[in-house]
Amino acid sequence: MNEYKFSDIKVGLTESFDTKIDISMMDKFLDISNDTNPLHIDENYAKKQGFANRVVYGLLTSSFYSTLVGVYLPGKYCILQGIDIQFSNPVYIDDMLNISGKVIYINEAYKQIEIKAVITNQDNKKVSKATIKVGVMDE
Amino acid sequence: MTREKVFNGVQGIFRDIFDEDDLMISDTTSSDEIEDWDSLNHINLVSAIEKEFEIRFSLGELMTLKDVGAMVDLMLEKIK
Repeated sequence: MNEYKFSDIKVGLTESFDTKIDISMMDKFLDISNDTNPLHIDENYAKKQGFANRVVYGLLTSSFYSTLVGVYLPGKYCILQGIDIQFSNPVYIDDMLNISGKVIYINEAYKQIEIKAVITNQDNKKVSKATIKVGVMDE
Repeated sequence: MTREKVFNGVQGIFRDIFDEDDLMISDTTSSDEIEDWDSLNHINLVSAIEKEFEIRFSLGELMTLKDVGAMVDLMLEKIK
């Protein structure tokens, strides 16, 4: 886990990581959220709607934005204060995702940073983007 | 930049942050009068103003502000 302190953070600082979506993640998310929409759990229905397979929950993939800020940028001293997400392409089971974020603004008075983040798949296609506001706590 | 222009810019930011297209603020508007003006939205306001007007505030400056009018006056000092 990274441990960037507020004084370490500069505009342009970037972090990223990769992860693979597997079927157990879908099962666990269903268990937690109880989101039984057939687009996520019924392959035939999803295909009938024009998707290649059942679609991974948008908020499952977005949970990696939490990981991005909580573990990588800034990491340990992060407190998530706001997130604005836009989805642009579906994610499927077994997709390989890259989650990256860059600091675009620093509020010196309140020790808050803004991160422009993006998730891309194995084809380098953007699946979502987010603007994330996080406070950076003192040690 | 005139005070009126700065004030109108601040009003636009308030409308955006608080999601109220017809929100009217005045020099005496304070956090007591806008229900959603909590600590996080206060940070959002300051950040939006800093970015829009390309100025920076210190924590000390922000702590002395009582209302919108005081904020606009401080902004005018910085924009000069």
